[in-house]
Amino acid sequence: MAAIEVTDLCRRYRTHVGIVRRRRTDVQALAGISFEVERGELFGLLGPNGAGKTTTIKILTTLLLPSSGTARVLGFDPARQAGEVRRRVGHVFGGDRGLYDRLSALDNLRYFADLYRVPVREKRARIDSLLELVGLKGRERERVETYSRGMRQRLHIARGLLHDPDVLFLDEPTIGLDPVGAREVRETIAGLRDQGKTILLTTHYMYEADELCQRLAVIAGGRFVASGTPAELKARVLDRTVIEIESFGVGEEALDRLRALPGVLSVATEQRDQAELILVQSSVGSELTRALLHELEGATLGKVIAREPTLEDAYVELVQTA
Amino acid sequence: MIRAFASGMRVHVVQFSRNPFDLSGVFLWPILYASIAYYLLDAKHDPRLLFASSLGAAVMLMWSLVVIGSSSALENQRWLGTLELLVAAPVPFAVVIAPICVASGFVGAYGIAATLVWGRLLYGVPLVIAHPFAFAVALPACVLAIGMLGLVMASTFVLYRAAFSLGLALQYPVWIATGLLVPLSTLPAFVRQIGWFLGPYWGFRAIREAALGSRAWTYIGMSVAVSAAYFVVGAIFLRLFVHVARSRGSLKLT
Repeated sequence: MAAIEVTDLCRRYRTHVGIVRRRRTDVQALAGISFEVERGELFGLLGPNGAGKTTTIKILTTLLLPSSGTARVLGFDPARQAGEVRRRVGHVFGGDRGLYDRLSALDNLRYFADLYRVPVREKRARIDSLLELVGLKGRERERVETYSRGMRQRLHIARGLLHDPDVLFLDEPTIGLDPVGAREVRETIAGLRDQGKTILLTTHYMYEADELCQRLAVIAGGRFVASGTPAELKARVLDRTVIEIESFGVGEEALDRLRALPGVLSVATEQRDQAELILVQSSVGSELTRALLHELEGATLGKVIAREPTLEDAYVELVQTA
Repeated sequence: MIRAFASGMRVHVVQFSRNPFDLSGVFLWPILYASIAYYLLDAKHDPRLLFASSLGAAVMLMWSLVVIGSSSALENQRWLGTLELLVAAPVPFAVVIAPICVASGFVGAYGIAATLVWGRLLYGVPLVIAHPFAFAVALPACVLAIGMLGLVMASTFVLYRAAFSLGLALQYPVWIATGLLVPLSTLPAFVRQIGWFLGPYWGFRAIREAALGSRAWTYIGMSVAVSAAYFVVGAIFLRLFVHVARSRGSLKLT
């Protein structure tokens, strides 16, 4: 039996618009996704903001009811057997929130240990070992409001592991962290993976998914657009070359001209400080650099680099064509 | 579950005690309520009435501290992002929320004591308690009755985001319906009947009778019975409203 089984899961949110003439609108957050996560596997859900990643995690952790479809976590239905699921799963989300700021890390962990029914005899040892695991030993008596974002995030992970859950849900655990803090959190996650924990990780950082996940799925607009190992997803774009052009103030018309060039498969842009990075994907072997530069004549350009595609390129391609 | 309850009480009292704004309110309000008791009824020449009005003012303060304390604590859970974690805990949600209300009730018990002491120090209100043992039992019974009414209110705070505003709005109706603000004899009969369903009605009478009268144990018994009923109703409401919040997806909204 898989640790997590999801079949045709749908979720719609109802919102209202207007004050006098209230009009009801339905927003489709999940439009029938299906997947399985095996025991001991680290499975990644990748997608842009609003893709449905957090909605999926909330349904699986019993915080949200699905509109239709079924989900099973360790054989239990999160909608109907919430108590059974809650005893067996841990939930960690990214960001500053989710802790009692005016209490110390130790007080936070003691409280959640009591709420999550950690036996009294094991409580102290469990908290000590988790503080050690997340690198907060020695700082545990300080108030959480004095912690950096990275420290808070590691405390979140310790809290999520207090009751030694069989399945761990990590919802964008490195969001907003500086590179050093993010690396520390990734190291902690890798350690948990190596211990054999089943982990469902959501992220929109490609390198994170590439480094950590054994399998992943790309979700966009509430639907799965691809799934497989990171290598399998990368293979989708291995027959391509990516040309990166650093530019300043290139308009949409110029980008459309690039898209119309023969041999160009896709054109995307990314903001990099004051510059805009134009990412052009083309078939391997097609020499397009000169033609691209010709179309951009008159624009202020910086470096131009041709390189092999990464998982991020595969992701951008998948999300854009979804 | 007892451990979760005790731990919850500790956390919420510590969290509350580390907010200077809340603390200064708890220090100043008893002086204000002691003054209300002294000037409102103009009972300077009747020590018994003066003491009774001080007790009424003290229970008014207690209700304010409970309803505002528990509603702001619930709203804080949303702002801190901990509400979802509390809902996702394997212990029943009533066991998670009840300590917030009872912790507010204990702050309210301090409010009663402080109001009476300030009344004595500033206005010479006599503090002669007729039945000290019954008074010692009546006080926690009153805390429980008011705290558990807070639990029933708290169930709605889980559903609605503006918990604090709702808490503020509930202060006066309960003061009036339980005879804390004005004597019930001056109000229409149906108001008294509403009061029977409210914990502060029985809690106040338990304290007042223990201090001044002779029927304290009847009212203490009613306070406990009402508290038990509130706990059951609160637990059912919490279960129902958490289900609605899970269905609407509103637990994370601030």
